Amino acid sequence: MPAYYLEIIVVVLGLTVLMVETFVSLRDKRSLGWLAILGLLVVLVLNFTVVETGGEGGNTPFWSFYVMDIPAQWFKGLALLATIFVILMSVDFSRVLSKGICPEVEDDGVDDCAENQVALSEFFALPIFICAGMMWMASAHHLVSIFVALETVTIGFYVIVAFMRRNVGSLEAGVKYLILGALSTGFLVYGFAWLFGVTGEMELGAIADALNAPDVHRTGALFAFALILIALCFKIGAVPFQIWIPDVYQGAPMPVTAFLSVGSKAAGFVILLRLLEPFMASEMLNANVTSVLVIIAAATILFGNLAALPQTNFKRLLAYSSVSHAGFLLMAVASAPAHPGVVSPVAAVSYYLAAYLMMTMLAFLIMNLIRVQRGDENLEAYKGLAKSSPFLAFAMLVAMASLAGVPLTAGFVGKFWVFVLALQEKHYYLVAFGVIGAAAGFYYYLKIVKSMYWDSPADAGSSAAVPVVVAWPTRIAIVLLVVGVFYFGVNPGALLSLFL
Amino acid sequence: MEVTLNHFLFVSGLLFAIGLAGVLVRRNVIVIFMCLELMLSAANLSLVAFSRFNLTESGGPDYNAQVFLFFIITVAAAEVAVGLAIIVALYRAKQTTDVTQINSMKN
Repeated sequence: MPAYYLEIIVVVLGLTVLMVETFVSLRDKRSLGWLAILGLLVVLVLNFTVVETGGEGGNTPFWSFYVMDIPAQWFKGLALLATIFVILMSVDFSRVLSKGICPEVEDDGVDDCAENQVALSEFFALPIFICAGMMWMASAHHLVSIFVALETVTIGFYVIVAFMRRNVGSLEAGVKYLILGALSTGFLVYGFAWLFGVTGEMELGAIADALNAPDVHRTGALFAFALILIALCFKIGAVPFQIWIPDVYQGAPMPVTAFLSVGSKAAGFVILLRLLEPFMASEMLNANVTSVLVIIAAATILFGNLAALPQTNFKRLLAYSSVSHAGFLLMAVASAPAHPGVVSPVAAVSYYLAAYLMMTMLAFLIMNLIRVQRGDENLEAYKGLAKSSPFLAFAMLVAMASLAGVPLTAGFVGKFWVFVLALQEKHYYLVAFGVIGAAAGFYYYLKIVKSMYWDSPADAGSSAAVPVVVAWPTRIAIVLLVVGVFYFGVNPGALLSLFL
Repeated sequence: MEVTLNHFLFVSGLLFAIGLAGVLVRRNVIVIFMCLELMLSAANLSLVAFSRFNLTESGGPDYNAQVFLFFIITVAAAEVAVGLAIIVALYRAKQTTDVTQINSMKN
């Protein structure tokens, strides 16, 4: 099966969800969520069966803008997995969502809007379209196709970030994301225009050849690189373009925050890897590019970890944590590919993002349950969780341990390779910043573990003593993620063998 | 005087700078949004200029860039449609389009 069928199937699935909502009268619209999850699982299985088009298929002139190599397949899998977990969370989140969409309940007390689950199906369909955009992004190898895929994702995110239109927080997050997202689009397009002007090419392979030629205009190429880097730093949330992250993450609906922090970041990094490849391969530009990346990585690690220390809102804390993880990922991006006996930067980034998906989704699944059932996003709500819901508390403990980088978890292996790569490159200052950042990370991640296991709830008789109800699909997802974090932490080769 | 590539690039850079300055200093969301569109137009102008002056072997302009331009215009239109809807929803909720008033989230 040709690889691009996957994106087509995903888009058709999104349209199907909308059509079913329109033409079939459903008693409970959450069943559309199950339909979407089922369809995406099928595509996830199909993703393993597609043929690579790097060889003879990729050489046809018309298809030069689409490649299907191992990283592409990997990131398509990540996009699909992230979307599945996000829709699973949306099913749990649907009650809060309808409260955010509907006007105040009138005097007769009947809430028609929430009864009818207004707009719920759109909330399931939009992540599917975004997923199609992310999957295309993983394969995009041409400036136009990168741009269109990136904008499919970004515009989809504008809608779902601002989805709860009666909720001021969600709207504010939407406006902030809109302005800064559009700003980054402006930089990206201007950078693409200059890249085209300098090289005269649109296809990344041809751009790499042109940048290696001796007569390339050096200043123009560096200008294009700077503009593109600014745009992508917005997408991945690297300093100094991370300003939007805390507010948008805090204001957006919980499943959307999870999608932003995992899916959007993974998509940003796959584009970054693809676009940096020509610049890193060019001997004339390599030194400048690497030094800029190292500075950004160090600043991002330092800012993300130190700003997370005083946070009391759990979502905001994870927002800063996602900034710091972007910094660690940039450490790997900044290293050159050729070191015998060490994983390649692409493999390190891919593994790190898979680990990041597992641990972050685990944390968000649990936060989502607490948010829906206790109505609280602050760390206060987690005090004494180990007594009322030991299962959730243990799963959260695993997520936090992995995010902090405790050995035997996937998060540790991810960080380990990043540090190995930075040491190979002799970026000793960067490694020092990384160590400071990781140490600070232990403090704020384990603060949550402490409040779950050692603190007692502020007021004992309240909702905090009631166990949190976990539906069976969510329970299965949590168990799978906990097992995944340990399994790939002990046996990382199981994932990495794909890249060797 | 002959108009060269540099003239076009200068104008496009000027447009981009005006747009960026507008985004940074203006307070009205609608005006900020218009400035963002100005930045996209700057990129479009550069693309067409590069296309006109990077002649291909056959002597014609490089149409890759001109096709890219149409994609940019289309995407910008989609962005405006979604963006204005969000701004209208914000205005209905807060009765303001001033970005300095959009600050309910704090640590």
